[in-house]
Amino acid sequence: MAEVRIVTGVIETAALEAQVARDVHGGICAFIGQTRRHSRGRNVAYLEYDAYVPMAEKMLRRIAEEAEGRWGCAVAIQHRIGRVDIGEASVVVAVSAPHRAEAFEACRFCIDTLKETVPIWKREVCADGTYWIEGERAIPSEPAALP
Amino acid sequence: MSELSLSTASEPDERPALFPALSETGSDPASRLLGAHMPSAGGLSSCLVAGKEIGCSAVQLFTGSPRQWSKPPLKEEDIRAFHAAREQTEIAFTVAHDSYLINLAAPVPAVLDRSREAFRGELDRAEALGIPWVVTHMGAHLDEGEEPALERLIRCLRELLEETEREGYRTGIALETTAGQGTGLGWRFEELGRVLEGVGPDPRLGVCLDTCHVFAAGYDLRDEQDYEKTLAAFDAHIGLDRLKVIHANDSKKPLGSRVDRHEHIGQGEIGIPAFARLVTDPRLKHIPIVIETPDADTMHAVNLARLKRLASGGELGMMVTVQFFGHYRDFMGEEPLAVCMPVGAVVRQLAALLEERDSRLAGLERHCRFAVNEEYADADQALLEGNTIAVLPPMSGG
Repeated sequence: MAEVRIVTGVIETAALEAQVARDVHGGICAFIGQTRRHSRGRNVAYLEYDAYVPMAEKMLRRIAEEAEGRWGCAVAIQHRIGRVDIGEASVVVAVSAPHRAEAFEACRFCIDTLKETVPIWKREVCADGTYWIEGERAIPSEPAALP
Repeated sequence: MSELSLSTASEPDERPALFPALSETGSDPASRLLGAHMPSAGGLSSCLVAGKEIGCSAVQLFTGSPRQWSKPPLKEEDIRAFHAAREQTEIAFTVAHDSYLINLAAPVPAVLDRSREAFRGELDRAEALGIPWVVTHMGAHLDEGEEPALERLIRCLRELLEETEREGYRTGIALETTAGQGTGLGWRFEELGRVLEGVGPDPRLGVCLDTCHVFAAGYDLRDEQDYEKTLAAFDAHIGLDRLKVIHANDSKKPLGSRVDRHEHIGQGEIGIPAFARLVTDPRLKHIPIVIETPDADTMHAVNLARLKRLASGGELGMMVTVQFFGHYRDFMGEEPLAVCMPVGAVVRQLAALLEERDSRLAGLERHCRFAVNEEYADADQALLEGNTIAVLPPMSGG
């Protein structure tokens, strides 16, 4: 059973890797998405993530289970919401598989699909203002709107 | 969808000026009197003023504290203020509800006497205020036998009607259908019919039908066939000509539960289609309808608006809730928004309605994807009563 969760605190990458480790698996691949200082010319102070939590967890589970079925791997995914400071992980995908090829492929599938289908949004809090990032658009926001 | 999310979802109707068109839809068709039971904390005339403010053309009220036996007689100035308020507000129909303590079928003689005296007070106050009907429950037999209880009730009603008739009263008594909780009388139409017959023909004795109570008592209203069956049973045992007031309340409890718990219109076990049928039924178009739904201060305006929408459209509506994400949250907030849509509406129609109602939502359909009950839905997907629709702008997780 894939372990997926939307969390509000720091993501423990090692714990996720331990969750997927199996003695019949020869490779563990972990993707860590972390927040960047610069985004499309803006200087970012920190990020805030918001999610449609019940649907996001449902979609994460679906992605993880599809990967497990296709590549015979074990998958754990956590995505963080709320404030995430620069250099901290916003998402971790941990995959263990019999061989490295499956681990890499499954991990890439998970993070790519997550970005397309899991209802999570980020706001970049920058020196010149705060922006919702929606596809190619950066839409100015009022920081007070989120609790 | 849980009950909890349903009830929180209804609050956003209250947000000022977000969807003014929803609450303004449908001025009363001239023949249809719609209103609410208004709290009388600010005095009797304030019931009418407050009722007018939320769009009532009919108002029900307590003329005294419903949980106390002793009630000081009305002051002349209060009576004058009430008549003046009625003239000023043009509230066309008023009805009084009696005290909860009154049991006109009580087996203990002292309680029966006290009840009769208190009910005479109800009639006196209503008469002075020019209120044509006092609604009362038929009392309870308290395990002392239904038959003798009905006989006591019949005797009591006959005496009250006769003595007030001699004094030239115009105010009449409307017996309310009950849910059949405990030993309460009057949940079967046959019982009401028996009492009407026992008292004998009197134009000052009528009946009040409460949708929540009859549903809890086992009379279904949800689909057309059952609604017709219930109305036919009412007509056969009571007579539609005896129907003077309707209480429109949804029910928190299921059909036949015999438990009386009122719910907001369209959010309970009865559901929107039954209320749409009720408020557009030509056989009932002259019968005033009042709501007695919970949270009067915040929700009466919403529930009344729902009934008006159903009454004016004649179209069946359904309630769905909408949740916004991404930058829309900055101005739409996190609380779900309750929206009434025509039955059979699809996602695209909801998107169009949202765009039309708030200029900040312009372009939403092109910009966003939609989910219905946490599953992606395309624009042609049909919506169902109670669905939760999420407006999902391009995502940026990862």
